[in-house]
Parts: sequence; C-alpha cells; structure tokens
Amino acid sequence: MIARISYAFRETWASFKRNVTLTMAAVITSAVSLLLVGSTFLIQRAFDNLLTRWKGDVELIVYVRSDADVNQIQVIQDALNSQPAVIDVSKLRYLDQAQSYAEAQKLFAGDPGTLRLLTPENIPSQFKVVPISQDSNLIRELGEQFRSLAGVREVAYAQDVFDVVARVSQFIRIATTAMSIVLLVVAVGLIWNTIRTAMFARRREIEVMKLVGATNWFIRIPFMLEGLMQGLIGGVLSCLGLWGLNTAWSNAVADFNDTELAALVVTDGYMRFVMFILLGIGAIAGAVGSGIAATRFLDV
Amino acid sequence: MIRLENVTKTYGTEIPAVRDASFEVAKGEFVFMVGPSGSGKSTLLRLMNRQEQPERGAVWVAGKDINEMSDSKVPYLRRNIGNIFQDYKLLLNKTVFENVAFALEVIGRPKHVIRQQVPAVLDLVGLSDKEDRFPHQLSGGEQQRVSIARAFVNRPLILLADEPTGNLDPATGEGIMRLLDRINNTGTTVVMATHDQRIVNMMRRRVVQLDRGVIVRDQERGVYD
Repeated sequence: MIARISYAFRETWASFKRNVTLTMAAVITSAVSLLLVGSTFLIQRAFDNLLTRWKGDVELIVYVRSDADVNQIQVIQDALNSQPAVIDVSKLRYLDQAQSYAEAQKLFAGDPGTLRLLTPENIPSQFKVVPISQDSNLIRELGEQFRSLAGVREVAYAQDVFDVVARVSQFIRIATTAMSIVLLVVAVGLIWNTIRTAMFARRREIEVMKLVGATNWFIRIPFMLEGLMQGLIGGVLSCLGLWGLNTAWSNAVADFNDTELAALVVTDGYMRFVMFILLGIGAIAGAVGSGIAATRFLDV
Repeated sequence: MIRLENVTKTYGTEIPAVRDASFEVAKGEFVFMVGPSGSGKSTLLRLMNRQEQPERGAVWVAGKDINEMSDSKVPYLRRNIGNIFQDYKLLLNKTVFENVAFALEVIGRPKHVIRQQVPAVLDLVGLSDKEDRFPHQLSGGEQQRVSIARAFVNRPLILLADEPTGNLDPATGEGIMRLLDRINNTGTTVVMATHDQRIVNMMRRRVVQLDRGVIVRDQERGVYD
C-alpha cells in the first residue's frame, strides 16, 4: 500500500516537472476562473448586506430648496412630525447644507464633474425619513403631500434606488456567474489537455503497465492526482487573490463609513466559507477532468 | 492451458486476420506459430491476453473464457501471462533493474519482494552484472534478455513471445532460444510466433502453421517448411 502511494506521488511530481508550461497554463486558468467564482459569491453577499441595511434604513428623502427660509424648513419638519403613524419620528434626521455638502463629497467622490457644480450654498439640505409602515403606497402618498409643500425641492424614494441596485446586483450576479462557468470549463479543458499530453508522453510506459497487469485505477490515479493538484493549486492562488481583493475593497469602503456604501463588505466568516468552496471546486474539477481524460486515453 | 475454439478476428472490413482457428496448448508445452508476415500469428497471440477480442469463437486461458470476463479482471489475467516482443518495449529512461522492477511495482508488490525477485531473475537471464545499465548501453540480445526477465519475474503460467529473435543475429537468437527453453523447462507454457526457419528447425518443437489467417498445419516436433 505504501509502495503504491509513494509510486503515485513520485509519478505525479515527475509529470509536473515534465510539463511545466502546460501545467502553469492549467493552474493559472483555474485560478482565474475560481477567482471569478469567488468574486461572484462575495459581490452577491455584499449587495445582499447593502440591500438589507437599506431596507431597514432610510426609505424617503425630502430635499429642501437651497433658498428655503427657516420657517419653510420648520413647516416641513412639523408636517413630518405630525405623521407618527407612518414615519419613525425618533429617527428623523435633518442634514443642513454644510452636512449635505460633506455627504456629497463622499457620495460623489468618483464623480468630480458633479462635485464641481455643488457648493455649500446651492446644495439642497435634506430630511432623512425612516418609515414605520412597510406599505410603499402609503409612503408614496405621503411623499406626494410633502412634495406640494413650499420649500420642498424634491422627494426621493429609497425604494427606487433600492430597485435599481437590486437590478444591478442581479445583472452582476448573472454576468459573473456566466463568466466563471465559461472560465471553469476552459480550466477543465486545459487540465484535460495537460493530462492527455502527459499520458501521450508516457504511452510506452502505460502500454507496458497494461501488459504486465497493472489495474486501470493504478495507471489512472497518478494522472488524476496530477489534475487534482493543478485544480487545488489554482484554488489556493484564487483564495490568495480573493483575500487580497477583499482586503483592498474593505479598506477602500471603510472611508465611506457614514454612508450606505460601507455595508458593501463581507465578513471574515463568509470569506472563509467561500475559500473553502473554491478549494473544493478546484480539487473536484481537476480530478474529474483528468479522470475523464485518463479513462478516454487508457484504451490502448 | 490455452484453448481456442473456432476463433475469427477481423480488423475493420478487410479479410479476417484469423479465420475459424481452433487449437489447444497444454500446460508446459512449447509451441511455435509460424507463417509469413500478415498470416495472423501476432493476432493469435494478442487474442490470448485479450489485447484483441474475436468476433466469433472463444478463447480459454487457464480454465477461463477470457472474453467473458469483465474488463476489471483483465489485469489479473495478464499477471499470469508474460509478453516478449521483437522490439523489446523497454523503458529507455530506466535501468535494467528498474525495468524489471517496474513490472512488480505496478502490480503493487512490496519493496522487499522486488529486492529479492529482480536480482534472482536477472541472474537467470545472465545479466546480474548489468543491472545499473540503461537499455541504450546494451546489445540487442541483452535488451531482449531484460525483456524476458521482466516478462518472467512474476513467474507467469504462460509466456507469449512475438518474434523475439526478429532483430537479432543468428548466434544471439540461439542464446535467446536457449533461455526460453530453460524457462519452458520450469513448467511455463511458451507460445512463440516466428518466421525464423533456422530456429524452428533447430528446436524441434510443436509447430502450428498459419496461412492467411487459417491454421494449415499442426505438427508435434515439427519443422518450418
């Protein structure tokens, strides 16, 4: 038994060294495809976190004209406070122009064009309203009432933004899933091809093995092990890549601490789960791809 | 030990390589299969270790119909059958010792068995002093001896030899024949395909002659004619 195991590992290693270029190609492709699979998981999770946070947070923003006077603002505030059945009055927040400007600096950090148009003087101040009611029709009705108040510039429903984000996240989910499936197929194909090449290089040996009565499994296992190692190494690389990407992203998002964007991160526990999945997919795809190749080319 | 019953084997749509062949080889027998190239000698050998399967007829080896057995049993059948070829089929990147040990290694024999069996069989074929050489450092006759050692190291019941002297000069070929004779004397059944008249006439063993896939002569202590 020990003789067999050491035989399998010796052959696997020898084959690795013999086919360095092809092995590298297979490893890198599986790493990239698995990285994409992992990213799909993380992006999806991040959006879910973001959407959950939003759902229970601000649902309605009443923008106040920049030229509204103190009285008009007071009227709006009173009108909001008079609806304790629909909105959570205790969570009602007013951002004056300076605060709104500070928020805009962060929200539009990636959009200097828009930012240049805004000044602390022309930016609307805003009431952030958290509704109690989950009935979006009721909230919209209320919003329409506020829209008619003097001094109100615009009423924005978070639901609208929410729907857009949900649609975007859905699109990203489909696109990244499709891409990772395509790349995974390419990776399996490359592993398949390396194994085929490895078997061709050793066809004399395989012929002798079959003639002296080596079982098919005995012949196949070193090749499957080779494929499995390629998939697994690809998996390890993709985990490192994913961890790096996630760390960089989390650091970047940490700057947006008091905006909703800060929710667009995943926890370490979920990260570990995803890494585990990637290693599993890598190992299985490698073993299965090479196993199929080995079986196909074993019929001398 | 080996029995063929009305065996027919066709490659593709061409005329049969072997047609309606029946014969039996007893345990410990030495049989020459003779006939010109393409007469079906090699095909018959390949039918005996299930490298080929016939369209019709049955091949019995050591009491089993080998075309009825499942693919997973075939390796165990082959452990009872040694094979020797005209072109030796040695692994060029392995030494003499490693080539012979390989046959034991891939059927899962433990190291201590290998360390004991390989020197013994190399001694039998007269290559004890060359176990660290590589095939390209050996003469043709020596390479064939290595391949015989590899075929015999597992003490098979049957040895199938396909033109083992085909690439060798007469004197070297005779040496190989003496070795096969010694192996036969240990009780191993030997079936050898050849078109080397001199050797067949020298040995005076049973001769089965083939002509275009048909057995035309089966003679005890025969000659090649």
